[in-house]
Amino acid sequence: MSERQDNKKFTRPGGINTIQVDAARQVHMRTMQARIPGGGSTTQSSTSRYKVPQTTMSNSGPRTPTASRMIPPARHICNNPNNPPCANCGGVIIPSPKAFLPLEDRPSMSINNWTISSKKRPILNAEELHNWETKELRGLGALPEMIFGNNFIRVMNTEHKWGIEYNTLDALKMVALSDSGIRVAHSKAWLDSKLQQQQNNAEDSSGIDMENSLKIVKNYDWTYSTEYEGTVVGDNKDKYSFKVDNNLTLPVDKLSKQDKILYFDEMVLFEDELADCGVSMLNVKIRVMNERLLLLSRFFLRVDDVLLRVYDSRIYVEFDDNIVMREIKKYEGNYNDILAKHHISHSHDPKAALRDSNWVAEHTPIIDRRCEVMTFND
Amino acid sequence: MMKIDRTITLLKQGKHITEEAVYSLCLKAQELLMTEANVTHVDTPVTICGDIHGQLHDLLTLFGKSGGVEKTRYIFLGDFVDRGFYSLESFLLLICYKLKYPDRITLIRGNHETRQITKVYGFYDEIMRKYGNSNVWRYCCEVFDYLSLGAIINNNIFCVHGGLSPDVSTIDEIRAIDRKQEVPHEGAMCDLLWSDPDDVEKWSLSPRGAGFVFGQNEVNQFLHTNNVELIARAHQLVMEGYKEMFDGGLVTVWSAPNYCYRCGNVAAVLRIEDDLQRNYTIFDAVQPQDGVGNAIIPTKKSQMDYFL
Repeated sequence: MSERQDNKKFTRPGGINTIQVDAARQVHMRTMQARIPGGGSTTQSSTSRYKVPQTTMSNSGPRTPTASRMIPPARHICNNPNNPPCANCGGVIIPSPKAFLPLEDRPSMSINNWTISSKKRPILNAEELHNWETKELRGLGALPEMIFGNNFIRVMNTEHKWGIEYNTLDALKMVALSDSGIRVAHSKAWLDSKLQQQQNNAEDSSGIDMENSLKIVKNYDWTYSTEYEGTVVGDNKDKYSFKVDNNLTLPVDKLSKQDKILYFDEMVLFEDELADCGVSMLNVKIRVMNERLLLLSRFFLRVDDVLLRVYDSRIYVEFDDNIVMREIKKYEGNYNDILAKHHISHSHDPKAALRDSNWVAEHTPIIDRRCEVMTFND
Repeated sequence: MMKIDRTITLLKQGKHITEEAVYSLCLKAQELLMTEANVTHVDTPVTICGDIHGQLHDLLTLFGKSGGVEKTRYIFLGDFVDRGFYSLESFLLLICYKLKYPDRITLIRGNHETRQITKVYGFYDEIMRKYGNSNVWRYCCEVFDYLSLGAIINNNIFCVHGGLSPDVSTIDEIRAIDRKQEVPHEGAMCDLLWSDPDDVEKWSLSPRGAGFVFGQNEVNQFLHTNNVELIARAHQLVMEGYKEMFDGGLVTVWSAPNYCYRCGNVAAVLRIEDDLQRNYTIFDAVQPQDGVGNAIIPTKKSQMDYFL
């Protein structure tokens, strides 16, 4: 993790001093900076600076644009006054400058006839959880430890009344209600020792019924693997459909351009540490530029010493052409094979790479790819 | 004793503790914990606390909201380290209190108080970041090996980190375990730190292929056999801070508010009065503030990036 020079500028009034090297401080700084989409490193001195007119964007702000990098005229609108545009660059301020605990952030913006919105809320409470357990997701043994069940990212075309959103419930509905066949690394040793114990205690009738207790009562995919590709929404959700064309690729050149990001949000939909045997997580993020957007929904599974799996679903929209593309990529491989690709053996923590889904996706064999496109021509 | 007071002051301020100081604290802690039973007897009134996970500021709130160690007896159900940014400070603070007030604080081992788990879930990384070597991590892990496996309050309430084990029907069987070791992958000691309650008819295998889940029948059986009325455990995140199950025969207590700095949950501690009445105290996460008084939500990876 890189140390920032300007860390020293930040002082917390009162409260508890923190250790200089602490990551909390860096996370804090990053959060602060994320609220200043211009990428500025200075702290806002007054909250009133956030209150700029919503539909206008100053081209002659204090952060003067250089001649070589012209900012295109603003055409986007910030729909939620809690997430106003930055006075300097016009980017939507996420999280809201008025974020509170428990966090609820619900930014939204529009470009042409496209509206992008997202929502972040805490994990489900007991009542919501009960409802999901007994109704919505009945049969799914234990739900993931952390369910951000009210979170979503939605991309909607208001003119054609068609949109696609990524939400938690629909993602979890796709988790298989049958045995995944995947077992944690120490499963065999564990079961063998139990069976051994059972044999030793065969004459001892006071013991519990080991034979029966070594059966799985609730069969479901405990890795929560989901091939979720988003939920199509809107009045015309059945009118338009994607057409598969695997020869297509997302326009990496266009998406690699460092166009100003007007809207960026990222959220976890669900996460489970698999009883500390790895991680299963569904994460969604979006970036919106003046001409296009890219959304990435990533399911990441690591079963320690056993398996790595990444399921990516990308949505790309070109606003002026009303083109929507969806690309699905699935990666899967043996844990130790992939770990062996990590050559930085001098690292004190060589397994750190296996916690980084980007690194894993890069080094894990791709097992499936699909690309499809949709235009609003009937 | 002067030295411990000074360390406590430093810890509360989040200041650096020297490697030598940690070493001497850990040695003293081992000497003290070695003399404790696997299942410690504790008298009422006492406050039961769940997972802390390195959230030092919230641990300080916990003490503030529940009376403080000067006036109150505490049982901590384990998982002091990992995930939060202040695992070391949180654990050392508890150790210091234990040394200063040995009869007022009981520390039970959680599944995160192991070498294997702390290497993956943050504590080891934190030590490498703060000290540049793993010595302090090793000293702490040696203390982990001496932590108790459970506690019993007034012979009425059994406290444990995870849950029950099919290998354990009486509390005396827990007393017979040789606990001074790294937590094994199976057996009674492992189950006590790992198992979860669920709505199952009987002991059953977790679909992961290792570990048990237990249901109301097992809880009732255990309560009856041991003549206790409640199992207090932690180990699982609960949005409301606590959750009673099985007609009040089991409770999960969770004491890390806004877990991982993003779950938005509240935390709870459970105070058991002399008449065994249960009183829950709920508390929120500390709200860090920026220079102009706005609340800051530290979220992971909040900075925008040009992902592809």
